[in-house]
Amino acid sequence: MLSFVLRRLGQSSVLVLIMSILVFVGMYVVSDPVAVLASDDFTEEDRIALASELGVDRPLMVQYFSFLSNVVRGDFGTSFVYNEPVLPLIVERLPATLEVAFLAIAIGLCIGVPLGIYSGLNRKKKTTKTISFLTTVGYSIPNFWQALLLILVFAVWLKVLPASGRGDTTTLFGIELSFFNLDGLRHMLLPAINLAIYKICMQTRLARSGTQEVMFQDYMTFARAKGIPRPRLIRRHLMRNILIPIVTITGLELGGLIAFSTVTETVFSWPGIGKLLLDSIHNADRPVVVAYLILIVMMFVVINFVVDVLYALLDPRIRYT
Amino acid sequence: MKKTFTTLAAVAAVALGGAAQADVLRMAYSSAPRSVDPYPFGGATTAGYKEHIYEALVGHDDQPLLSTGWTWNSPTSLTVQLREGVKFHNGEPFTARDVVYSACRMMFKIDDKRNLLTSSMGPLTDVVAEGDHAVRFETKNPYPLWIQKMKFLSILSASGGSVPDGPITYDATGDCGITAYPTRDDFENGDAAVGTGPFKHVSFAKEFAVMERNDDYWGEASKWEGVEISSVSNSGARFAGLLAGDYDLIENPTSEDITALDGNDDFDFSSKPAWRTMFVVLDVNAEGAPGVSAADGSAPLANAKVRHAMSLAINRDAITDRLFGGNAAPANQYSPSYRAGAPEMPALEYDADKAKALLAEAGYPDGFTLQFNAPSDRYPNGTRVAQALAQYWSRIGITVELNTQPWSVFAKARKAREMGAFFYGWGHPQGPAQMISFAFATRDKDLGLGSSNYSNYSSEAFDAAIKAWAVETDAAKADEHVGNAMRAAMADMPGIPVYYTHSLWAHRADLTVDGRQDERTSAFMVSYK
Repeated sequence: MLSFVLRRLGQSSVLVLIMSILVFVGMYVVSDPVAVLASDDFTEEDRIALASELGVDRPLMVQYFSFLSNVVRGDFGTSFVYNEPVLPLIVERLPATLEVAFLAIAIGLCIGVPLGIYSGLNRKKKTTKTISFLTTVGYSIPNFWQALLLILVFAVWLKVLPASGRGDTTTLFGIELSFFNLDGLRHMLLPAINLAIYKICMQTRLARSGTQEVMFQDYMTFARAKGIPRPRLIRRHLMRNILIPIVTITGLELGGLIAFSTVTETVFSWPGIGKLLLDSIHNADRPVVVAYLILIVMMFVVINFVVDVLYALLDPRIRYT
Repeated sequence: MKKTFTTLAAVAAVALGGAAQADVLRMAYSSAPRSVDPYPFGGATTAGYKEHIYEALVGHDDQPLLSTGWTWNSPTSLTVQLREGVKFHNGEPFTARDVVYSACRMMFKIDDKRNLLTSSMGPLTDVVAEGDHAVRFETKNPYPLWIQKMKFLSILSASGGSVPDGPITYDATGDCGITAYPTRDDFENGDAAVGTGPFKHVSFAKEFAVMERNDDYWGEASKWEGVEISSVSNSGARFAGLLAGDYDLIENPTSEDITALDGNDDFDFSSKPAWRTMFVVLDVNAEGAPGVSAADGSAPLANAKVRHAMSLAINRDAITDRLFGGNAAPANQYSPSYRAGAPEMPALEYDADKAKALLAEAGYPDGFTLQFNAPSDRYPNGTRVAQALAQYWSRIGITVELNTQPWSVFAKARKAREMGAFFYGWGHPQGPAQMISFAFATRDKDLGLGSSNYSNYSSEAFDAAIKAWAVETDAAKADEHVGNAMRAAMADMPGIPVYYTHSLWAHRADLTVDGRQDERTSAFMVSYK
């Protein structure tokens, strides 16, 4: 197990390094922070002074290596736009994103998996066909359009949920959370549903195909022949065997939700990190974009690691040496 | 089924719906104010937010605000009389010492980063308190524009714990003997957010700011007990938030939103001509311009006839009527014609046949090839206007290749001077001449002219007029110079003015909005009908 962890760690560092180079060079090629930040009434000297204050007047290599040496010391740099250290800027917005991501994943699992198992077990029923139709629709709707539709229905027509913003928060251990607050929950619901719809559809399909496959396995036939009652059959024998793909996908999807729920956060004005990423790309705020993506790579590495460990727990045949 | 649904919805609405407080104005900005600290950042929303809390010596309407007037002692020395009887939110009286302190703070670099006004304060050599109610500004060159620049010098109270007692002596590093300036946190938690404005800071998070009325305001106190500013960058979501009742007023609704309000009794929109000119910048370099080529290898844009032909080809009325539904006005010069101090100019003609003839006369009967660049995400309807312009030019025989790109990419190409023709917008909060002094003057470091001259334009007549304007402290004479400069530039047309934008607000129908021209949104302009 230890050598597995070490190997993973080594691979991940290389990945992070490559990633940082790509993003750094990419941002350098595409946009110029001085051009975005300097207003038109800056004189030429002001622009030169600004470039040197931001440190972007140095050659790219020099900028990159100074960035790298700072990162090693835990300093991800200072945002060009906000003039604040980058790490707190991102971390401060993380709880908002995490809350919605977890809620969306929870909704996806709690609705998707039972629907999928039901569909897998009752293949010929009309409800199954309806579910299958709805999941196709849910899959295909563009996210931003669906978000506007949700706002239109729940906020504009029915006026039951707020259209945007985060609402009241409760401070817990110094972190602002919406979970423990009615107003916060109301604000969280629409963005979470918007993210969850796709997850529900995916989990339903995954669980259905898993169920269909597993139900015809010899061990299931044997278990049935042994007279195991149906609830136990589903819980112990079916669920456990369809869980591996579901766990994999859920892990990846969680990462995806945390990292790239930009569209949803933008439409609902949810002050999370996805919105920060988009604003930062827009404003040529390279330190934020680079730090953000490095953190995201690290997060995926951790999530994948957790997923691998979960495999071993779920399937005794899997061992890491 | 339907009935159950409605009942359910009603129950949910009662259970979940927050009651709207009638006397708190809830506004949605189109981008988030960047800080409570009034100095480091510009941008319309940051400025719009901070004006609730802080005031300056000169108001956004060019009129005295925390001052009662000013006199030029000499072309390099201005004395500003301060308003008496003004109190800060902390109860301290407003005096000349606060102005000196604020000027020091503006020059002081927090974390080695310059503030919004640092460059504008460059010509200042001294800021001196003359008694409690007058301040003298000394400059190294005549600097009449300082009157406009004072709008951006938000006045802070000099009464914080870290400011030593006694008079403050200004210096250009902003050190001024002050041991420590308030930090970003001091501003965000409200300790340092002490101004003289009609509202007081309550809380500030990046997408949500809350303020309460300043009951001791020196002027007429606001009718609003409080103000909440949300920031919703997505225009669809902003509009939906208005319809859903989350906000009372939103800024920058789209043309589609305005159309959707047609026949809606609950919501309305207000429009105000803004101080922004949208124009096409042309690179008039005789050596040729990037992305522009003619069959004979010449530089078409260097020929004034070509530039006039391109202007003649544009039907400005069609653009303002069709694309903006009348919420924009055809331009006839670089500054909005309604900006105080702008000269009277004739309307710009639209005549495609004449344009074609002029193009032929210039030696391009078969046109030439032009890459036309426009930012895709910067200006309302920007891409559509760019397409329209490209079509107008195609009609007179120019082969136009339209290239739209995100603002950050566009800004880089512009700075690197990689674009021979591009679409651009420029605001004029500091009078009609400030923009053209940067955009069309031959570069002059000492006077700070021509730093954004992407046209590579150079004209003796224009330069002479703009240089005379830059040092003229007499307002009437300055306006004359502006007129001369404007006429010189319009005759050569290094850029083609297209239209003046209008600022738009969508709001509850029971509100009246007396909009501002500087593209900012504030609670002062909103009242009940």
